[in-house]
This record gives sequence, structure tokens and C-alpha cells, in this order.
Amino acid sequence: MLEWIQRGLSQGRITTRYPRAGQAALADIATTGPTRAFLAPGARPLATRAGGLRRSIHVRHIDCGSDGSEEWEIQALWNPFYDIQRLGFFLTNAPRHADVLLVTGPVTAPMRGPLQRTWTVMPEPKALIAVGDEACSEGLCRADALTAGGVEAVMAVDVYVPGSPPPPIAILNGLLLAAGLPVPGQDGDGTAGTAGDSSARKASYGSTRTASDGSRGEAGDGVEGQEAA
Amino acid sequence: MSVVQQPARATTGYPPERLGAIPEPAPAGEVRLRVGALALASSARAMHEAGARFVTVFLADTPERSLIAAFALRGELILLRVPASGDAVCESIGAWWPAARWAERELAELHGIQFSGEDRYAARLTAPDPDSVERQVSGLDVFSIPYGPVRSGIFEAIQFHIETGGEDVPRIHTRPFFKRRGMEDRFVGLGPEAGVRVAERVAGIASCAYAACFAQAVERAVGVQAPRRAERWRAVYCELERMACHLDVIAKQAETTALYVGQARFQILKEQVMRLRSRLTGSRFARGMIVAGGVRGEGTMDLDELLAALDRIERDLRRDRRMFLGTASMTDRLIGSGRLPRALVEEYGAVGPLARGSGLSTDARHERPYGNYTRLGLRVVSERDTDAMARVRVRFGELSESLRILRQTVDHLRRRDGELRTELPAAGEGAACGWVEAPQGELVMWVELREGLLRRVNIASPSLRNWALFDHAFPKDVLTDFAFIEHSFGLTPAGADR
Amino acid sequence: MTLTYQIAMGALALAPALALIARAPALRRIAALCSAVGCVLLVIVGLDAALGGAEPVVNLGGWLGFGHSALHADGLAGIFLALTGLTGGAVAFAYAELPPGRWLTALGATLLLFVAVAIGSDNAFLFLLAWETITVCVYLIASAGRSAQDLLAGYLTGGLAKIGGAALLAAFALLYAHTHSFSLAVWTHATLPAGTRGVVFALFLACFATKVGVIPLQGGLPAGYGSAPRLGAASLSVALCAGFYGLWRFEFGVLGPLPTWCGDALLVLGAITALLGIAYALTQDNLRRFLGYSTVEHAGVALVGFAVALLGHAAHMPTLAAAGLLAATLHVCAHNLSKTLALIGIDRVEQATHERTIDPLGGLSRVLPASAVALGVSSLTLAAIPPLGGFVSEWFTFEALLQGFRMPTLLSRLLCALAAAGLALTAGLGLLAFAKYYGFIFLGRARERLGAVAEPSRWPAGTVVLGAIVLFLGAAAPWEIHVLGSGLEGMLGFDAASSALSHPLVLGPVFKEFAVLAPTWLAIVLPAYALIAFAIALAANGRRGVRRAPVWITGSGAELSAVQYRPSAYSNPMRVILRGPLGYRTRLVRIAGENAAGESAAPQFKLETSVVLAVDRFMYAPAAALALKIAGYLRASQSGRLSAYLLYMLVALIVALSLVPILS
Repeated sequence: MLEWIQRGLSQGRITTRYPRAGQAALADIATTGPTRAFLAPGARPLATRAGGLRRSIHVRHIDCGSDGSEEWEIQALWNPFYDIQRLGFFLTNAPRHADVLLVTGPVTAPMRGPLQRTWTVMPEPKALIAVGDEACSEGLCRADALTAGGVEAVMAVDVYVPGSPPPPIAILNGLLLAAGLPVPGQDGDGTAGTAGDSSARKASYGSTRTASDGSRGEAGDGVEGQEAA
Repeated sequence: MSVVQQPARATTGYPPERLGAIPEPAPAGEVRLRVGALALASSARAMHEAGARFVTVFLADTPERSLIAAFALRGELILLRVPASGDAVCESIGAWWPAARWAERELAELHGIQFSGEDRYAARLTAPDPDSVERQVSGLDVFSIPYGPVRSGIFEAIQFHIETGGEDVPRIHTRPFFKRRGMEDRFVGLGPEAGVRVAERVAGIASCAYAACFAQAVERAVGVQAPRRAERWRAVYCELERMACHLDVIAKQAETTALYVGQARFQILKEQVMRLRSRLTGSRFARGMIVAGGVRGEGTMDLDELLAALDRIERDLRRDRRMFLGTASMTDRLIGSGRLPRALVEEYGAVGPLARGSGLSTDARHERPYGNYTRLGLRVVSERDTDAMARVRVRFGELSESLRILRQTVDHLRRRDGELRTELPAAGEGAACGWVEAPQGELVMWVELREGLLRRVNIASPSLRNWALFDHAFPKDVLTDFAFIEHSFGLTPAGADR
Repeated sequence: MTLTYQIAMGALALAPALALIARAPALRRIAALCSAVGCVLLVIVGLDAALGGAEPVVNLGGWLGFGHSALHADGLAGIFLALTGLTGGAVAFAYAELPPGRWLTALGATLLLFVAVAIGSDNAFLFLLAWETITVCVYLIASAGRSAQDLLAGYLTGGLAKIGGAALLAAFALLYAHTHSFSLAVWTHATLPAGTRGVVFALFLACFATKVGVIPLQGGLPAGYGSAPRLGAASLSVALCAGFYGLWRFEFGVLGPLPTWCGDALLVLGAITALLGIAYALTQDNLRRFLGYSTVEHAGVALVGFAVALLGHAAHMPTLAAAGLLAATLHVCAHNLSKTLALIGIDRVEQATHERTIDPLGGLSRVLPASAVALGVSSLTLAAIPPLGGFVSEWFTFEALLQGFRMPTLLSRLLCALAAAGLALTAGLGLLAFAKYYGFIFLGRARERLGAVAEPSRWPAGTVVLGAIVLFLGAAAPWEIHVLGSGLEGMLGFDAASSALSHPLVLGPVFKEFAVLAPTWLAIVLPAYALIAFAIALAANGRRGVRRAPVWITGSGAELSAVQYRPSAYSNPMRVILRGPLGYRTRLVRIAGENAAGESAAPQFKLETSVVLAVDRFMYAPAAALALKIAGYLRASQSGRLSAYLLYMLVALIVALSLVPILS
């Protein structure tokens, strides 16, 4: 055990410093894509609903058919680089102790029941965050017999974190929005610029998706092919 | 571009005439034989006796609607094609070859292809009911725990019915297909460019492997060869991905044994690999770089910097590996748990680190070398102990091997120059298999193109083939060993369910 | 008080007669009530005698032919008479509520009568007569079942009790040979050589071990409890009072200071009994056999305290003897009261559900509230949870063991330490066992196989009264110690209560200022904490309300009763840990009806588990086999031919004739 401790001490601190309110956004070398998260119109952050829930938020995750990469990015938030426990976000195994539910994947048919059950079992006040492009809207997996085409087809979403997959910083920004804490680099409460109807949201998702999945340059390639087909 | 197809030739060990099969033209590495519906089972038996490994059975549309059973034998992929015209019903292979069971059930449930002699199952494999509970064991002590689909921790959705007497585990039933998105159908009608994007998102943690497999299949179907430099870049992305997956499995293994310092150290290594990929390609998962015909571009990192970063990672990895394997409190819990005897692994046709931990040496890079691996000498890491510790050792061995391959490949990239991409014909047509060694095991894809658009894609994912073994991985283990054994498998439900 | 005593014994004697002639249930109810009245009077008599009143005597004259005999209630007998009255009265009220058959009511009343006779008798032969009648009643009650297993259990119970009776007779014969009298008073003041004392000690132990359940003679208890019909088991538990009384009176009172090895041996035996008893209890699925093994465990604990008393007596340290004896008596009182309550409660459960095993039960607390409360209170007491009576007595036993450093020999000190460790393990296992027992009967969801369940009767008067007594036994411990101390004064030579009660509500082991315990305050403070917490919660969250959501089964919507833990699975890990002593084995067996593929729709397996109860396998089975073999040989002599019997008579005549000149 001593060896492990010496190893950690010799490496030094690797955790990214968290900026104070008002400072610029985190300069994250991990990604070159945008890291915005979006608050759904009409959604109220947890802090406005329960005054005490600012520094101790318990997070539960449910996978409703994602491709597996969003889970890696969510898991990364608790690794020593990001370490969001120091910001007051804790992972919980029981939805009965959770304040925030992270949902990934377009909701597949067998996962509808478990998703609704998980949501029912969580105590008030609670927030739902849709993580990943497939959870935020139809796109790759449109609504059919197998998938519901996004979480908003099944239940009301409070925060959208688009990306394929969204980098950990984006998910962190989403958690901060849901909690009602100030998000570094994002002004106001992060609502999308246009009025909150779903088509406009899709249009803005189209642009963020193109940039965040790393395809360089060919903006209209393939993506439009998918939407047209 | 020259067409790479060659007439099929009889390979060692079996003559097609003995099977009553008619050879058909196939690209290099594949052997395609046409058999009649009634001869399929006997041909499969001949394959079994010859020592082949069952890969999958699927529906194809080229040249006509047919059923194709794929086997891997001595460096070749043998496809037995049964034309589906007429009402002849094939005899079930899964009745006596366990590796074929789930593939046949999938065909039966999704496409209505019935095999004679197959068992009738009450529960649907591909559409599981989260509310039902399977009971096979009776007894005063025994009850069934449905574990999943929402499991503790951040994991993908899959359900297990664990029949337990309180401490020991007489039976386990694995129920995948909670995440079935029908990805194979979402390829239809797309061009190869868009198809690669879809392929990357079938199993997100193995994006490069799926993209490379898809690209190879398309290239072989239209008869195009990717340039060498592109193949080298593909190898770089795939090996980086293999490292990330193995580090993730080892970190999870440390977490289940409550060695949280070990978990943190390997999470650091994995994050370093992810950030390296992000600096190299702009995406933490190296998405968007592999395309059909080659790669999209050079990485955005200086190759000397890349080598230096790899050196740093290797130094850290060596130290952490030594401490990890030296922590007796953790290794004691892994040694002896989840034993999978070699005979069982062979019967189920398992692939990947799982098979290599039980003494086999199946590795697609070694059996049917593709891309850059035709020019590299590969050391296949295999262990004989068959338990969870052996699988962890295999992963450590492969990490070292991946670093060696990376260094060699980046060195070649530094010294030479070349094209990055071959243009695909505008209205390409053809059907072919592609295969890669994904981090979870051998991945095989069947791609059919017509007029430049995808017509059919079939994916034989390593995760699904290996999950079938999970029910037998608890011979003498107790309930608390469940997490170790599950993580030592290191599979992804997204790839299994597609 | 003498008159009250006479009326009490009269009522107890009238009850069986009434029950025998009663054809209608109403008359049986009256018989049971008559018995109950006798018991209530017995309680009054006993408490009065224990607290130092004039000792009542019921003269029986010399009709037994072995000297003058009487029912004489001194201090010790008073304690046990009160205990018998309380437990027997509750059982009699239970009989009155739901009368069983004619014979069972009569047998139960007879058993009660002769337990009272045994406790009060001052003549050894009267004691022997009462003891043998108890044996007959126990055998008849235990073998009243219908199945072969029940009959075998009855034979085992009866056989072991007969062995005990034989040992008792031998002990009495030895004592008579030395003193030429059957009077207990004469025996108490007689001096016996040490060797004889040791032999008589062992014989008495063998006899009373069969009644209270000390290994290796404990078989009668779980077997008898399991096979007795309905309330027969509760009646059998009343006989425990006679067993413990016999131990106290004969081993401590009559025999006087015993050699040190007796106390050491009893320490070891008690600890082993406690451990094995609870370990076997964990393997039991039958509702009443579990309680039988729990009785074995608690008998072991009581015996440990009693052993300390014997060691103190042997070393001529009356304070140490008082510490041990007080602890043991407290334990006997707490255990007997709560065990009878548990058996009465489990009888109601069996009546309502018609099930005798724990597996099909669940969630009965809503439909059977009286049984739930009764068994809840008794489970808490038997598992030694503060602030109830079981915790107080267990605390006293541990404190008595902690006095081990005062003992003269090194062996005694070592054994005390080991016994304390063993008792600690027993307490932990006991908690596990009762959590399983109570939890799977009353809490959780009902299982699918259970049909409609309803309360069997509406006025559980006996259960309520006994339940209240057991509930407040811990809080009323100071007064209980007054009674016990005063009752034991005759045997110890001083009133232990004055040393044990340093302050009106604070208890200590008889050694002043060694340790303190205040169960009365605990009984006030602990519930008060709970109430305060509840009030704070109500004040803080009252406005938010409560929303109920279904049980979380990792996202599955399966029916909860199908995926709950089974009772055997709950105690499975402990059985795996104890797999050595328990001989625990499992085997997965394929049941026919499954094809070669091994994965079709309905292949079936069965998990067979087996446990070896060492005493049953290595002692009872060979002994029973030997006995059957001998009986087989003897049967040959019962050929049924007249000529053979004439021959036997001729041989007996010749032997008798030849003995006369030899003896004269």
C-alpha cells in the first residue's frame, strides 16, 4: 500500500483546477468540440426547487440503449482528472437516494418500463438529464418499434447534453445546469438562443453534432444524408 | 483497380466435393461454398470435426436470398451458402454445437427462419421482458435474483437472472438484447461515407474496430485496396483503442476488488490514452478518421510527440502493472474464480482475451492478417490458467504488445510517405466479409453493396458470442464473485445487442 | 396461604378429570379455565413463599408408603411455582380459547398438575412419582402425531425421558442407601463421600438434561416440540420449570458443595450445548423444531450460570455462588416465559395458515397482529435485545462469567473465559436465527402458495397477559430480583437482592460496584429517543408528505414475492461458514424432463442440501439401532406359545425359591 501512496505523491496533482465563478471556461485539452449543455425551456434547476441542494447532489445513471461511449464519458467524471466529488456530485447506486438521473441512449422498447420505474422511485425534487445525441433527439435512431427516438418522447427532460459522445466537460456543464450552479463560460442559464421549440433545437443540435463528433470540414456530409434517407 | 477475386481452391483438410458443396468465387481469405439446405447440417458436422470455429449464421441477399453459415478454419473464413428458395428447412446446428444457438435463435425470432430440431423456447431472446423471472432450479434454499437492467454503477443495460441458494450459484441466465436498436437495418440505403459513421456507433467503445471492419468489408466487396499508409494509421487508431479498452477493464477489475488506488491509477492511464487520441484526431474515441478506402487525413500531432507520449504511458503502465499484480489482497480474489475450461471455450467458439485466457490463441490479426498486420510480426498473448486472473494477465500482455506495434507503426509512418485514401468506384457492387480483432474479440461483418449504396449489413459481434459462455463461468464460485467474473469478460452489451 | 395452596392444587387436579369426561368443547373450555384458575392461585402462593411469607404445606400423609410426604413450598419452590403458574396459566388460557381434543386437554392439565406436585414435593418418592407421570404425559403428547416421522419423534422423546427417569431412580437409590430416608430435608443435611457426590451429580444431570435439553440428551426437545399436536408443545415447555427446579434443588440444594470438576464439566457442557443448539436451530425449517433447538441453546446458557454457582459453592464463596445462581434463575425465568409465549403464538399461526414450516409463510403481521406482537416480544427477549428481560439475564450471565478471576483453580478461570467467548458467539447466532424466524413469518410480502389467512380467535387473553409480562420483564427487573433474591436466600444463606440492587433501580452482579445496569431507565430512555426522533421528523417533514413507490429490483418489475430471499437462503451463508460442525453438503441434481441441449424451455434442476446433526447421527441412530436389535431378539422370546410361558413361570419360581435361603 505504501508503494501506491508514494506513486501518487510522486506524480503530483493532475486534477484540473476548477475555475471560480466569473472566470473563463475550463481550458480542457481533452476535446476540441463545443461543450455546451442546454436547459429545457420551462425547466427549473434543482437549486430553485430545494434550497439545500447545491453542494451535495447524488447522481444516478441509466442506460437506455446507448452505444457505450457515453458511459465511458460519464465514468470519466469521477476519475482523478475531473474528480467532480469535490464539487459536490456523488454517484449513488440506489435511485432512491438520487437527485439527478442521467439517461443515455434512445429509449429502446425493453428499457421503457425500467426508465419509468427508475424515475418514479426517485424522490422529489429531481432532474433528468439526457446525455448524448441519441438521447437528446432523433437522429441516428429515429422513432420506430425498437427505439423511442430520444428521451423526450417518453418523459420530460430538464437538461440536454448533446454530443456523440459529449466530452466529460459537457456532461459536467449539464450537471451544473441541472443543479442551478453557475456554469463557467456559459452565460445566463444556458438556454438555446432561439425560442424553445423542438425543431429549432434540432437545428442547433445538427450544428453541434457535426462539430463534436470530430468530422472535420465536411459539415453537410453524411449527416444530411442520414436525415434525408 | 484490379479485381482481387480469385476462384475458390480446395484448402487442406476437407474437399468441398465431400461436402457436396459447389465452390463460388470469393475474395482472398474467404472460401464460399454453396450447399443444399439438407446438406448444411452434415457440412457443419464436417467443419466441426475438422476443428473449425463457428462464427455466425446470417441472412444474405447476394447473389440471391440465402442463408450463410460462417466458420473459421486454419486461416480462412469459410462461408456455406444455402439458397433460401423453396421451402426446405435446414436442420439445426445449435442443437449439438452450442456456439450456434444464439445465432439461430436470433434468425428465428427476427427473420422467421426456423431450423428443424431446434428447441422451442418460451422466452424471446431478442425481446426480453424485464418483468419476468426465470426459474430452473427448485429447492428449499433457491430463489432467483433478477439483476439488471439498471445495475449499480455506471454500466450498460443487460439483465442476469441469478439463481442462488444464498451463497452458491447453481445457475445464471444471461439476458442480453435490452439495447437492441436495430443498427444493422439502419445501414440500408446509405452510402459508404455515411455507413462508416453508423458503424462507429454500433459499439461506441470499439468505434475504430467497427469502422475499420466496415471499411475493409466495403473495400473487399468493391475490389479496392486501401493504401499502406492508411492501413498503418488504421492500425494506430485500433491499437490505441485496444489499450483504452483493456485499461478500462483492468480499472473496473480493481474497483470490484475494492483496490481504489489501483482503479484510480488505471483510470489515469485510460484518460491519458483518451486525451492522446483527442489530440491526435480531434475526438476522444478517434471517430471520424477511418473511411472506406483509407483514412481521412494525417493526425494533428507531431509523430515525435506521439512517440514521446507513448513512452510516458508505457513507463507509467509498467510501474502500475507491477504494483497491481503485486497486491495480493486483490489477486487472491481473482485467482481461481470464473474458470472456463478450454474445451468449453472451444465449443462455444469464444474469441478475444476471454479465449486467450483459457489457452487458445485465436486472434484475427494472427489467423487472417489484415491491413498493416500482414507486415508486422504479432505475438499472440495467451495464458493457460483459465480463470479471471489469466484474463487480466492476457490484457496486460496485449497492452505491452499494442505499445510495441504502435511504436513500430509510428516509426514507419515517420519515415515514409504515401497516399491516404483510395477512391471507391461510384456505383460499386459486391458482397464480402471484413474482419478485425476488436478489443473484445474477433469481429466479422458482411457487407453488400449495390449501385454504390449499402443493401445489407450483418455484424457478428464478439460480445454476443462470448456472452453465451457467461452462464457456464460459475462452476464453484459464490455470489460475491459475480462482479469479478463479469468484468473479466470485458464485453460490451451495445455490441452484442446492436 | 395454605388454604390457597390447597385450593390451587385441587383446581389443578380437578381440571384433567373434567377434561376427560368432557365431550363438548364448552366443557373442555371450563376444564381449561379451571386449570387456569389453579395456576393463578399458584402464582400468588409462589410469590408469597418466595418473598418470605410462611411456607404453606399441603400434607399428604403417609399413603405413599415411603415416609411422610407433603407439598412444601419454600423459597426456591415458591419461585418455580410462580413461574409454573405464569406459564401454565397462559397455556391454560390458550387451551380455553381454542380447545383442542379431549385427550390433549386432559394430558396438558395432568402435566401441569404434576409439574406443580414435583416442584412442591419434599419427599423424593413423591418427586419420582410426579416425574414419571410427567414422562408419561410428555411421551403421550409427543407421539400424538399421525405421520411416521412424528411417531418416531415421540419414541425418541419418550425413550430419552425414560433414560432420565432411570438415572433419577438410580440417584435416589444411592442417596437412600446412604441416608435410609426419602425425605429431602434429611438428604440436605446428610454428609456424603466425595465420590458418591460425583456419581449422584452425574446421574441427576443425566435426568434433568433430558428434560431441559442439554447435549447429548437433548433430542427430546426438538423432536417433541415438532411432533406434538397444537398446544402440546406449549404444555411441554411448562415441564421445563420442573427440569430446572430439579437441577437447582438437587444439584445445588441437596448435594451441597460439589467437587470442582463438577462445575468445570458443567461449564464446558453448557457452552457446547448453547453453541450447538443455536447452530442446529439455523438449519431448521420446521416452525416448532426451531423453537426446540432454541430451548436447547438457552438451557446451555442457564447451565453456564449455574456452573459458576456450583464453582462458587465448591470454593465456599457465597457471593460468587449468588452471582451465578441469580444469573441462571433470571435466565430461566426470562426464557421460560418467552418460550411459552412463542409457542402459544406459533400455535395461532399454525391454526390460521395450516403450515408447519417457515418457507411458505410471509407478511402475516397484518392479518395476525396478536401473534405478531407475541412472537415479536418473545423473539426480542430470546435474542437478548435491550432493554428486555433476555438482555438483562444475558448480561448477568456474562457478569457472572467475568468473575472467573476470583475462582481458585486455573482451569476454572480458563474455562470461564472460553465459555464467555462461546456465549458471545451464541448471542450473535441467536440474533441471526430469530431475525430470520420472525422476519420471514411476519414481515415482507406473503408468498404465492399461502391461501386466505384469518385470526383463529378473538380474545387471546392469555397471550396478552403473558406478552405484557415478558415485555416489561426487563423494566421490572429490580422487583424480579427482589423476589428471586428472597426466594434463593434459603439456598445461598443471604439475600442476594440486597447486594445486587445498589440503588433502587440500578442492578449489578452480586459483587458490589463491579458493573451496573439500569434496565428500567433503558426501557424509558430508548423508546423516548425513538419518539423524539419521530417527532422531529414529523415536525420537519410533516408538510411535505410521504409518497410510496414500489420496491426497487434493479429496474425489473417482477413480483416481489417471487424474488425475495427464502428463509433457508438467508441463513445459508452462516451454514456455509459452519459447514464443518454441521456437515453441510449441497448437490445439484438434474430432474428428468430435460433434453441434451441443456437450455430448452423447461429443464429442471434441484439443489439438494443436507445437514448432519452430529448427536442424532452418532449417538441416537446407533443407540436406536442397538435397541431395535435387542428388541428383535427379545421378541423371539414372546413366541405366544403357552408352553414357553409356563416354562418362564417355572424358572422364575425356582429362582425365587433359591433366593430365599440366600437372603435370609
